[in-house]
Amino acid sequence: MREDWQEAQVAVRVAGLSKSYGRLSALSGVSFEVQTGGVFAYLGPNGAGKTTTINILAGLLPRDAGEVAICGLDVSESPVAVKSRIGVVTDSSNLYPELRCRRNLVYLGELYGLGASERRSRAGQLLEQFGLAEQADRPFGSLSRGMKRRLTIAAALVHDPEVLFLDEPTTGLDVPSARSLRQLVKQVARDRTTVFLTTHNLAEAETLADEVAILIRGRIVARGTVDELHGRVGGARSVAVRFSADVSPEKAKASCPSVRQAGRQEGMLHLEVAGLHSAILELSDLARHEGLQIEDLLCAPPSLEDTFVNILDRNDRAGEGGE
Amino acid sequence: MSQFLRVLCISRKDVESYYGKPPLVTWGLLFPAVLILAVYLKDRAGYLAVAPGIIGMTLLFGNTSMAAIVITFEKRTGTLERLLLAPLSTQTIVLGKALSAAAYGIATSVVLAIGLVAFLNMPLASPGVFVLGLLLGAGTFSLLGIIASVAVKEVFEAMTLMNFFRFPLLFVSGVFMPLAEMPWWLGPVAYLSPLTHVVELIRIGVHGGSALGPIWIPMSSAALFLVAACLVAPRVFRKCATPA
Repeated sequence: MREDWQEAQVAVRVAGLSKSYGRLSALSGVSFEVQTGGVFAYLGPNGAGKTTTINILAGLLPRDAGEVAICGLDVSESPVAVKSRIGVVTDSSNLYPELRCRRNLVYLGELYGLGASERRSRAGQLLEQFGLAEQADRPFGSLSRGMKRRLTIAAALVHDPEVLFLDEPTTGLDVPSARSLRQLVKQVARDRTTVFLTTHNLAEAETLADEVAILIRGRIVARGTVDELHGRVGGARSVAVRFSADVSPEKAKASCPSVRQAGRQEGMLHLEVAGLHSAILELSDLARHEGLQIEDLLCAPPSLEDTFVNILDRNDRAGEGGE
Repeated sequence: MSQFLRVLCISRKDVESYYGKPPLVTWGLLFPAVLILAVYLKDRAGYLAVAPGIIGMTLLFGNTSMAAIVITFEKRTGTLERLLLAPLSTQTIVLGKALSAAAYGIATSVVLAIGLVAFLNMPLASPGVFVLGLLLGAGTFSLLGIIASVAVKEVFEAMTLMNFFRFPLLFVSGVFMPLAEMPWWLGPVAYLSPLTHVVELIRIGVHGGSALGPIWIPMSSAALFLVAACLVAPRVFRKCATPA
């Protein structure tokens, strides 16, 4: 069954999707396609419509207009068939607290129609893969937050779904747990499962995503690979500089026309610049003019966070202009 | 695996998680047993007139409450959403939840009946009709509990909502007062209550006779209420259980 739709190379197809809650428009004309395999990051500020999109894709919410197909199947026409091919991890760890970890996985295997021996072996395999084999006989409610999150993701994979929806998978986790979870997500994607990821952690999206879509106020405003998005915001780059004496971010911004944004972090000025060459010349002029020396200079491509903020700013400005 | 087998999976899990726990089992047995024993000690001959009503009342309160508690608890923990995300039809989820609550009500009532027969010499003229009454009543009342709780967030909201129909049903259904002794204007209202027909079936099971006339009247009426609840509950669930 996997092969049929994989030939088409489109795991998720959304066209002209709209949804309103009363007078509030949550999604208006959202369209995108997610290619089979890999990780698709669906980003946006709070209230942008990310969770509404996932709820519609998962068959939890009806849509007002548009088309939604997963693995070639329309979500409204074949909800049960679609649900058997997707796994969904919501932003909360919602397994049965009173049931043991293994029993949780076996029960979900029953609900997804796995045979008795298959669900037992799948549960064992997932407990191993997610580093929870030693916790197999503990009630889910007694696990740490990181372990709960891992088991919740494992539970969404119990039926080997073709598309996995992950809503804020690492929110609230400590650094080692979040890192370990990201490794697991990468592994899941390597195992041919398409991952649809929403997250507020843009560094996480940058690490994991093959493709990114940015949703603002219910509309997709940018879409492409991380590099393509960087290109669309004008090739801005990040520069970190340390002078021999203190220079304020305001002074740097006022003296250097190439600097778009300036801030201070750990004793260094962090600048987002329009052009690297002109920025370095301007910073050299500033140092000479102030009688200072440049002690340290680091150049880096912009992060996804820089690009995201840039796109948000542009969108806000466009919105204000339009209003 | 068919949707029917998944109904059984949901029910078995709920019995394991909730209904098989000692506090619920003892509540389901002790509440009616204590009431019946109190009436028995006062009037050893007359307690049999009230016992079927108390069993029916326990089914109504036990099943609606337990179904509502499970639904609101699972809404709060997010596990109800997990069922909605699984490849299950709405009917499968609703029937799975109702079946476990109904099994709880039937099991406690049967154990209670065995105790009454063994220790208080309660007759059981038609055991089949007695069990049929339990089946139809437990199914209907469990579905009513699901209907009342799926739209609310907290258990107390569900209880408040259900008390709007449970206490009036108790009043009009001949639980404590034989239908023949009711005021003339309350008689027709009694026929509109599912509890009336369930209590009547239990009464026939115990005594072998009915105040409602031939056995097919309470039997078909109770069955109709169950069918209506089966049709309404999935619709209400579909409308109210999905996230806003």
